[in-house]
Amino acid sequence: MAETLSRPQDHREWFAFVLVWGAAALVTAVFCWLLGDIIWHGLSHVSWTFLTTSPENAGRRGGIGPILVSTSLILGVCLAVSLPIGIGTAVLLAEFTSDQSLFGRMTRRSLDVLAGVPSIVFGLFGNAFFCKALGLGFSILSGGLTLACMVLPILIRSTEEGFRAVPASYRLSAAALGLSRSTTLVHLLLPAAVPGLLVGLVLGIGRAIAETAALIFTSGYVDRMPQSLLDSGRALSIHIFDLSMNVAGGDANAYASALVLVVLLLAINGAASWLATYGLHRKIMTV
Amino acid sequence: MHRSIDLFQQNISGSLAALCIVALLGTPESVTAQTTATDPLSGKLVITGASTLAPLVAEIGKRFESHHPKVRVDVQTGGSSRGVADTRQGLADIGMVSRVMKDEEKDLYAFPVARDGVGIILHKENPVQALTDEQVVAVYTGKITDWKDVGGKHAPITVVNKAEGRSTLEVFLHYFKLKNRDVKAQVIIGDNEQGIKTVAGNRHAIGYVSIGTAEYDESQGVPIKLLSVGGVAASTETVRNDTFPISRPLHIITRTPPGGLIKAFIEYAQSKAVHDIIKQQYFVPLVD
Repeated sequence: MAETLSRPQDHREWFAFVLVWGAAALVTAVFCWLLGDIIWHGLSHVSWTFLTTSPENAGRRGGIGPILVSTSLILGVCLAVSLPIGIGTAVLLAEFTSDQSLFGRMTRRSLDVLAGVPSIVFGLFGNAFFCKALGLGFSILSGGLTLACMVLPILIRSTEEGFRAVPASYRLSAAALGLSRSTTLVHLLLPAAVPGLLVGLVLGIGRAIAETAALIFTSGYVDRMPQSLLDSGRALSIHIFDLSMNVAGGDANAYASALVLVVLLLAINGAASWLATYGLHRKIMTV
Repeated sequence: MHRSIDLFQQNISGSLAALCIVALLGTPESVTAQTTATDPLSGKLVITGASTLAPLVAEIGKRFESHHPKVRVDVQTGGSSRGVADTRQGLADIGMVSRVMKDEEKDLYAFPVARDGVGIILHKENPVQALTDEQVVAVYTGKITDWKDVGGKHAPITVVNKAEGRSTLEVFLHYFKLKNRDVKAQVIIGDNEQGIKTVAGNRHAIGYVSIGTAEYDESQGVPIKLLSVGGVAASTETVRNDTFPISRPLHIITRTPPGGLIKAFIEYAQSKAVHDIIKQQYFVPLVD
């Protein structure tokens, strides 16, 4: 086939080449521009003092210490709740439910719908359910639980894909060796499904840490250092939004906070893939 | 190899447990914060409402906390309508409303803390120096769509309007006697800074924002300019002496006649002691 390439086909090849590389270059350029802009405007304001002190004058001066603490606590609550539930549901869907069963299809369909629901809807739900009905008020707990609801569909679906990607021969071999179903799950399938889990985790954390709409009605706007999970605490994304859209003269600190957010996100993603590669995934290779 | 992996798993469960302990330990502390309200100046105040007012009231709250260490002031945002709703339902002790109180809100107790003018802004390089009220109405209703019809260069006008529920929108519509459904806008925005950024980024745009914010951004070199309305220059000074025609009071509200901590906070927010904070947030203190 390759030897019989005529001129028009050559052109087509060349066109496809340009299209693919052009698209890739465009995406990379947008990312570089965005990152460059944030670093250019933000880097000079980021310092140890900025990371550890409290905001002053509505955030125009001072730092983001309490906001970083609140953000980590919200994310911590979100992951502590969503990881066990997410992995559990994914195991049920992938290992204990057949592809064609009504229950499986219904659950998957509702998860896909949930994954597409705009975050403001989760925010209003979180406000009505966690803040008012459960009486948690504006609190880090309400915010973290709302985010957990939001992150769960993504986490479950990609973890499920991770389980489905494990070759059936693994399960058959384990059964042939007389391993129980739970042993197979914990020692074989779970480590093998880590890449899928990781994708879900990275997407989920990305969505959670960048969330503004769902948090403004749940974890709130208070920029004091939180004393407990029942205190209201302002997330980094809300701080950036408020500084850039609501506070005149807040741009410099908004850029600096945005830089911190991006670095935080990259660090968490890096840590997650490192843990998965060197912690869980290697296990399967040494068994 | 196995051993190190088990350690890793223990670490995960260990940190989860730690998180749960934090959650449990945290609970009693905040409960006491709410229940020790026997002393009039201790306890927690929840304030919700207008995003315009939120940074101001949060700063007043911080200073109030520094005078009364047992008091905590939690400020949340979400808009004036939410401030009214939350105060009515008792979800908030105090609401923030960045406009005149409506007739159907007469059941609430309103306390003005500051004023804010609403000014019309254009891009700095727009040659138009002034617009009559009729021209503004014609532009916002889509009857005039080109700058050359109001003395500018030939270019289509980009009308920037505020989103439904924003108090600036209501103040603007009220002054120009417009209905929001008659406004033909190309861009709908939320907060003031967003409006300024929209106009600064579009030479042919017209918008309206809080005068204090616009004045500050103008002084920082943002390419916008404030138009005078009815021959009165738009500035914090003309808002202060009440000659500028488009302005709004910034209220904090309560459901019942205030007492105790709430009363103390409202009195403090209305006192001269916070005038410097009000100016710092680019609003105009009330003359008393």
